[in-house]
Amino acid sequence: MCDRGAQQLCFLIVVLMQVFVCGSVSALENTEIPRTANGRPDFSGIWQAIGTAHYDIEPHASDFGPLVENGAIGAIPGGIGVVVGGEIPYTDEGRAQQEENKATWLENDPVVKCYMPGIPRANYLPFPFQVIQSTDHIVVAYEFASASRIVYLNRPDFEAPILSWMGHSRGHFEDDVLIIDVTDQVADTWLDHAGNHHTDALKVTERYYHAGPNTLIYEATLVDPAVYTEPWTIRFPLYRRLDENMQLLEYKCVEFTEELIYGHLRKGVSSN
Amino acid sequence: MPEVRGEKIVKKVILVMFIFQTISIPSSWVLAQTGSTWEVARTIDGDPDLQGVWENNTITPVERPDVFGNKSFLSDDDIAFLRRRIAEINAAGDDALFGEGVLQAAFSGEITSYDPSTGNYDSQWMAERTIHRRTSQITQPSNGKYPPRTEKAIAAAKALAEHRRDHPADSYTDRPLGERCVSFGAPRLSSGYNSYWQIVQSKETVAIIQEMAHDVRIIPIVPMPHANKNIKLWHGDSRGYWDGDTLVIETTNYSDKSSTSPETDRKVNVEKLTRISETALRYELMSDDPGQFTGSYTREIIFDYTEDDIYEYACHEGNYGMANILSGHRVEEARAAAGLRER
Repeated sequence: MCDRGAQQLCFLIVVLMQVFVCGSVSALENTEIPRTANGRPDFSGIWQAIGTAHYDIEPHASDFGPLVENGAIGAIPGGIGVVVGGEIPYTDEGRAQQEENKATWLENDPVVKCYMPGIPRANYLPFPFQVIQSTDHIVVAYEFASASRIVYLNRPDFEAPILSWMGHSRGHFEDDVLIIDVTDQVADTWLDHAGNHHTDALKVTERYYHAGPNTLIYEATLVDPAVYTEPWTIRFPLYRRLDENMQLLEYKCVEFTEELIYGHLRKGVSSN
Repeated sequence: MPEVRGEKIVKKVILVMFIFQTISIPSSWVLAQTGSTWEVARTIDGDPDLQGVWENNTITPVERPDVFGNKSFLSDDDIAFLRRRIAEINAAGDDALFGEGVLQAAFSGEITSYDPSTGNYDSQWMAERTIHRRTSQITQPSNGKYPPRTEKAIAAAKALAEHRRDHPADSYTDRPLGERCVSFGAPRLSSGYNSYWQIVQSKETVAIIQEMAHDVRIIPIVPMPHANKNIKLWHGDSRGYWDGDTLVIETTNYSDKSSTSPETDRKVNVEKLTRISETALRYELMSDDPGQFTGSYTREIIFDYTEDDIYEYACHEGNYGMANILSGHRVEEARAAAGLRER
């Protein structure tokens, strides 16, 4: 039994023990990452970024959205940005193009039309995506637009036969880091709603590694001399969706965009 | 006046000869691996390894053509007949034959154009087709035919045909789901046109990538309830498990929008995938679709392994066809309104 002074000491010891124990558990959890049967870090699961990078990957304050009729639900939330160092090192022409894109977001953003988002944009859209990791291939299935890509592991000589919307992904492991080189993307995709952009010369080097069993750190370095003065990097966490019975659903958004794209061609529409 | 290719619904069988230039007979055409000591390889997790790119370029039609009567399998003489056809090649390439059009044409002497309205799909679209011995993919009912349609399904099909006749392109919604790039279905089982699947397996999930159109079917192989009944999906909600070396997939929660038949939300599909050799995958589909059919049916298809890779089928992103179809109809209507004769 403890007297009053001793009681305070006992309480402090109990608290410290709890902190120690809890801290130890956390440390344990954070150092044990899931692994496949052949010992590789296992990235399988359903992941999602949290934040506002899909609006603008550069630092930005909240602002009006393009449709004021939507009021508060249509405005753009602020974000600290995911670009390492803050701003994208555009050429002057590249920055001017971005500003023009931003001014015409609704008309020209390919994602508004439900076009596949490309890499890295697919990884920070506000939709989950699922990684299915095997020995020679990794499949990444995105809920948005049913976009998908196959990552070819250890086939460095496999050249892309043609440009594509989601690019050509070749991956390998360096220790516990999954590195994916993404090339041969069409120039039509953007990086966010703010009109950040690239050309078809873009090369993206992605790095995925665990910060814990349920958290990944995602980095992507973008090289495109046609519009950037130097390579630059984005970095943000990806969180495992821990919801009970979580599964990817469908966001087959074509049907949501047909009126936008083809509505003026319907019979009886005055603009025919 | 130039020939209007779209008017040629029926063509002479001589045109088929060119098609058969591209038909091959794979080693997997012998379905049963009788007497073989072959065993399926295992993944690192110990599951049967079904991984790879699988092509469905079979010439076997879904329903058994009447010309075959009760015959379930092609005989050696039938195969020889097909080979003679190949030997009689006449390089008068014309409209492509997808799906079941090839076998039907070879034995009936007539072919039906896939695309009579534009004639755009000529023989250059043909994939290399493979001969399997079955005369129909449907194995049950035993006559190789779908069960009779329900009265509701017959009425719905009649109404749809009338609507498409009277309103072929008033709106994008008057066009088929595939033309709209909304969905090509899951499982997509049409053969001979981007009919490739890639299977990738992890410890808890099997992914089936349908090349057309970049859809990934995600099948959990761990215990997990189906999605809530209120969640209806274009491609349904799949759950899987291993029954010996066979992957069994049950799919429910289909959206009514996913089919032109009524009550598709009641459909339950059970698929069984069994690798029967290094180069052949036996695929079975047991479908209970009470809105469409008065009974269930079973199909069997042999998928053949290929070393080729699949590519991104970006459909919607390049769908100039939809805008052109709609604008073409608007032009025709304007010309008709102005009293101009259609070309």
